[in-house]
Amino acid sequence: MRKFVVAVLLLGFIVVGTGVRTSCAGEIDLLLQKLVEKGVLTAGEAQQIGTETKEQIKAEIAAGQYSSLPAWVQNTKLKGDFRLRYQMEHTSGSTSRTYRQRERIRLRLGVESKANEKLLVGIGLATGLNDGSADAARSTNATLENGFSKKIISLDYAYAQYMPNSWMTLIGGKFKNPLWEPGDLIWDTDINPEGGVIQLSRKLNSRVEGFLNAGVLVLDELSTSNHDPMLNVVQSGVKIGLSDTVSLKTALSFYNAAKVKGQKLDGTAGTNRNNGTASGNQLLDGYTTLTPAAEITVKDPLKSLGIELPMLGVFGEYVNNPQAKDNGNGYMVGCKFGAEKVSKWGDWQFAYNFAQLQQNAVLDILPDSDRVGGKTGVRAHEGILQFGLGKNTALNIDYYYGWNMASKHAGAHVAQVDWNVKF
Amino acid sequence: MKSFSNIIKVTLFVLALAVPCFAEKIVVEGSTTVLPIAQKAAEVFMNSNPGVDISVRGGGSGVGIASLIDGSCDIGDSSRPIKDTELDKAVSNNRSLKANVIAMDGICVIVHPSNAVSALSKQQVKDIFKGSISNWQKLGGPDEKIVAVSRDSSSGTFEAFGTLVLDGEKVRSDALMQASNQAVASTVSRTPGAIGYVGLGYLTASVKAVDVDGVKASKETVLSGKYPIGRPLFMYTNGAPKGLVKQFIDYILSKEGQKLVEEEGFVGLN
Repeated sequence: MRKFVVAVLLLGFIVVGTGVRTSCAGEIDLLLQKLVEKGVLTAGEAQQIGTETKEQIKAEIAAGQYSSLPAWVQNTKLKGDFRLRYQMEHTSGSTSRTYRQRERIRLRLGVESKANEKLLVGIGLATGLNDGSADAARSTNATLENGFSKKIISLDYAYAQYMPNSWMTLIGGKFKNPLWEPGDLIWDTDINPEGGVIQLSRKLNSRVEGFLNAGVLVLDELSTSNHDPMLNVVQSGVKIGLSDTVSLKTALSFYNAAKVKGQKLDGTAGTNRNNGTASGNQLLDGYTTLTPAAEITVKDPLKSLGIELPMLGVFGEYVNNPQAKDNGNGYMVGCKFGAEKVSKWGDWQFAYNFAQLQQNAVLDILPDSDRVGGKTGVRAHEGILQFGLGKNTALNIDYYYGWNMASKHAGAHVAQVDWNVKF
Repeated sequence: MKSFSNIIKVTLFVLALAVPCFAEKIVVEGSTTVLPIAQKAAEVFMNSNPGVDISVRGGGSGVGIASLIDGSCDIGDSSRPIKDTELDKAVSNNRSLKANVIAMDGICVIVHPSNAVSALSKQQVKDIFKGSISNWQKLGGPDEKIVAVSRDSSSGTFEAFGTLVLDGEKVRSDALMQASNQAVASTVSRTPGAIGYVGLGYLTASVKAVDVDGVKASKETVLSGKYPIGRPLFMYTNGAPKGLVKQFIDYILSKEGQKLVEEEGFVGLN
């Protein structure tokens, strides 16, 4: 009771007498010291009251600042990023070679707003095409060209997200990819899928967290038929803390591309087996794939040798399409090391992967568009170096060397130097 | 009559099985430093309150506070005050986190009793454990190599020392890493050139504690905040503690609970 009275008086004195401010720590300590000297409080009680009062003031200042903002500001977050890229490409066929250099920009701007405690709406705009071409889903670049022409801004995502409780999320619309993948064997990271998904995630104990993602993704809408191509997805996985420094994340994904056989999909790279007709390269295979993937991350792996390396990760992913008549497998193996996140000056991370995607392993509208033009039937190495230039800004160097599995002469080197700024 | 007796037995058996389903439950998660206090207190508290289930998990202070904000635990253990970013997240999630100080963490710097050095600055302690100072002569002691003795990286004491003294920098690579406070004290007591650190509760007569920044390590100096290698330990709750959460925190703050705190090597508030 005595402690409670002192704490209330202390808060009252600070709030009423001097106004709430962060520099009151010294005054609290002085008052408490006097109370200890006079025997009103013990040193432990003074420490407890002093610390709790300072924390309470911090919380009240934060709450006060927050509540003084207009309601729509309290419920809305604005975020985005800008990227300036220099890209050099060298492609070679059996008889020809092409060199190309491009300067490109990317702008992404997103807004997330809470409609209520459980419902959120997200809207994002980005540079990039929206014409159904191969680049439309898989690229957000705008090339600097055409005599200072204005650049196209498209709807990158728009979704509603409902969270009935802490372990379930329902999302509908066009949204950021909810499926986990350690690399980009199957999904280009620029793709924002469309449709509806449910995400479940629950901690099973202090070291194990399970997750499940399931959904129906719309690949296209056919105006002349009700057999629209869809991608049905179920992904089940687990994150395990094997020790304080070693963690494992693994998942098994099942993809069923319904009604794609006999269709030509928008955004195709044209490399899946098709009938090659003038009317439009309709797919000859079905695509139902099973994809196991795993990533092991170790913190401070070289500590025993006295070498400072914050993180080392190795990962692998495999895909198999039993519906393909042939060439239905793919895999990626890779590693990364350096900082877990490149967030300040001097942070760095290097990553490497090798990928092989046979011709009919996955739909050729999905894989990384920078890896041999987003085609299937390819093998490629990729190395990425990220270097932090400061808070929210980094330099990235990304290099691909890939080739067509049918002909080693058909190779592609792509080097990208990016300056990224987040805001 | 026999069948009636059987019915009673079966009913009691079913009730016994059902009791755990109706047990009051709280989840405590977070700091690995606070973990031994929470575990020990939960064990004793559950023994004296059979209908109560307290699940205690580690994960780190950040995990505890994040779990409290997203509602997946009732008490978030933390060995540091809440960060501004966490506070903003809590406020935007309509959470009003309340800090409850349950103990103090005080770390003594110890040397071999024969060592002439009896006071160091915090910066000197940092330089020794970073590896910048490797001979006692530089500190007014004998011409003897410094043997640094540290807790292993999984311990809360190591984490506290890293935060309070090393400012997040790494311990020198040739440091002898020990699995317990007793092992650190024992190694230092047997090695004339050694320096180590232990929780205040593990200070023994076989080692010498050195003053840091001119302040002697004691319960009083840690509680008053004068000793520079000390910090409060928190159990954060969503608003003022209520119900079982309040009972549990009140127990830790009681005389009996604070005795457990000191048995675990921390500084009690009483």
